Amino acid sequence: MRILIVEDDVVLADGIARALRAENFAVDVAANGEDGGHLGATERYDAAVLDLGLPKKDGVTVIREWRAAGQDLPVLVLTAREAWSDKVAGFKAGADDYLTKPFRIEEVVMRLRALVRRAAGHAGAIVTCGRLAYDAQLGTFELDGLPLKLTALEWRVLSVLMLRREIVVDRADLIERVYEGDAEVDSNSVEVIIGRLRKKIGAAMIETVRGRGYRVTAGAA
Amino acid sequence: MTLLPRSLSGRLLALSALTTAAALAFAAFGIGHVLERFVIRGLDQQLDAEVAMLAQAVRGDGLLDRARVVDLPVFARAGQGWGWRVEGPHGRWTGGDAMAIARDGPGPGPRGCPAPDDRCPTPGEGRTVTGERVHTRMLLVPTAAGATMVIAGGPRRLAVAPLREAMVPLLGSLAVLGVGLALATMVQLRYGLRPLRALQASLAEVRGGRARHVPVDQPRELAPLAAELNALVDRNEAQLAQARRHVANLAHGLKTPLAALGLKLAESGGDPALLAMVTDIDGRIRHHLGRARAAAPGGGARMRTMLAPAVDALLAVMRGIHADRAILSISRIAPDLAVAADPQDLDEMLGNLLDNAWRHARTSVRIEATAVGQDIRLAIEDDGPGLSAQARGEALVPGRRLDERGDGHGFGLPIAQELAELNGGGLALGEAGGGGLCVTLTLPAASS
Repeated sequence: MRILIVEDDVVLADGIARALRAENFAVDVAANGEDGGHLGATERYDAAVLDLGLPKKDGVTVIREWRAAGQDLPVLVLTAREAWSDKVAGFKAGADDYLTKPFRIEEVVMRLRALVRRAAGHAGAIVTCGRLAYDAQLGTFELDGLPLKLTALEWRVLSVLMLRREIVVDRADLIERVYEGDAEVDSNSVEVIIGRLRKKIGAAMIETVRGRGYRVTAGAA
Repeated sequence: MTLLPRSLSGRLLALSALTTAAALAFAAFGIGHVLERFVIRGLDQQLDAEVAMLAQAVRGDGLLDRARVVDLPVFARAGQGWGWRVEGPHGRWTGGDAMAIARDGPGPGPRGCPAPDDRCPTPGEGRTVTGERVHTRMLLVPTAAGATMVIAGGPRRLAVAPLREAMVPLLGSLAVLGVGLALATMVQLRYGLRPLRALQASLAEVRGGRARHVPVDQPRELAPLAAELNALVDRNEAQLAQARRHVANLAHGLKTPLAALGLKLAESGGDPALLAMVTDIDGRIRHHLGRARAAAPGGGARMRTMLAPAVDALLAVMRGIHADRAILSISRIAPDLAVAADPQDLDEMLGNLLDNAWRHARTSVRIEATAVGQDIRLAIEDDGPGLSAQARGEALVPGRRLDERGDGHGFGLPIAQELAELNGGGLALGEAGGGGLCVTLTLPAASS
């Protein structure tokens, strides 16, 4: 899962990025509204953390432009503007959630996970597929009721596939959601990660759909 | 100290009454004078005829030829005030009633005399021996022996009686005219000052939040005043907006580093005492910035703010920030209800109260608004655990500092209460039907 952070305060942006990476997310950071708006409009993210008081382009404008262009990326507004009128303006522009500074980073992580889960159409916190269960609130996997240990890259791939269980995820789409913007991506690296995951959860759980991508499935359809 | 009344219409009325009275007095005096001259002229003609006859009877040697004296018939009636006298160097002759002449000797030349020579008698006044006032005419007749004075007098009452007869109705009519003019002035004032009262009403509309500006379509004298008032309203609004921008910048400037500090503390193990201090600083900033943001103390114009759209927008916010809690909201607000409160203040009050309800509700929140007299009463009920009567009493103790509170209801209730009071309303806590908390927010209605 890949998150876009748009925040002009470098210390704060780094802190959030570090905390999110510690939770396995891939993170890109933009320091102003213009860059952030451009990244959100052109790259594939699972959610964005957006400040409102941004240089070059205000956060509310950024969301409005994304929504006008049909970009339905879930947006968590993270701002010092705590007036309810500002919250109303944020939601009217198309924000999905709103958190004011200062915040507990655990809350940011929880709200981001919830946004991504709801955007994928899951009302409940636990997403199951056969023997595999993903707690979309805590970000943990269980196989046959036992905790599953995953590397950050494996977690990103499997969480993306689990949230779209039984649906084929396009290979290019998957690569975009797994690697950070400035990462060097080897064309075979996703296959390598899929291979490692199949060893951990069973080969039948991840189906390769030739020429398109991958699908997590409960069993042979 | 001024004698002029403080009221504008009082001043205008007083001035108009004064000028009307002066004009009427002048008219009465002028007309009276003309009338007097008119009635006196009749008397003069009789007296002048007598004087002319007597002057003819004065001989060249200064003696009066009695045989040539032929009195007018009125001079024959004794005791009526008619009489004459001829005085010359050689004697003095009288006829009719005896009279004392107050002014004798030739005047400076009579007015209205056809020929400015000494053949024209001059007027004078006197009294008969019985005390009756008489009007006289006098002529000096030159003779060989010297000037002989010829005077004839007639009763003044003959002239005064018709004058009085004419003056009584005249003065009456003038008085009626004066009263009529005064009434007309009052009507004019009522009509003329109506735009002023309309402007006052428009200003009250602005203050009551039912209008943004006073209408500029005013009479020419009031248009600059209306423009100035509107400029003042605009400046107030701009100052409020600027103050709010300043507060927003301040919030951003303080809270972003505070957030970074909190994050650093959490990364370095997260000493709970230090994190609590961050929370405390945040609470203080929120409290003071919240107060600074409020419109009412800045004197900004109260706006007419529609209630239903404000509540709907905030319900969308609640569904967003409390998306993990499946709370059902039931909102019953008539679409035409509007409150006289600043829209941002209203958002702040409603936001805090709804947020509070959402946090404590089990399954649902009910919002209902009703118009009660001049107020709008908005009740927000949750089906949560509620507050005990004692806790409810303590929750809204006036002047109680927010940071002393620890009842789990956070900052929301006191902020909402403070804003409600600043906007001329109030906040009351009660028990909802199902045992939850029922918060009633009362705000002045902005009637259409």
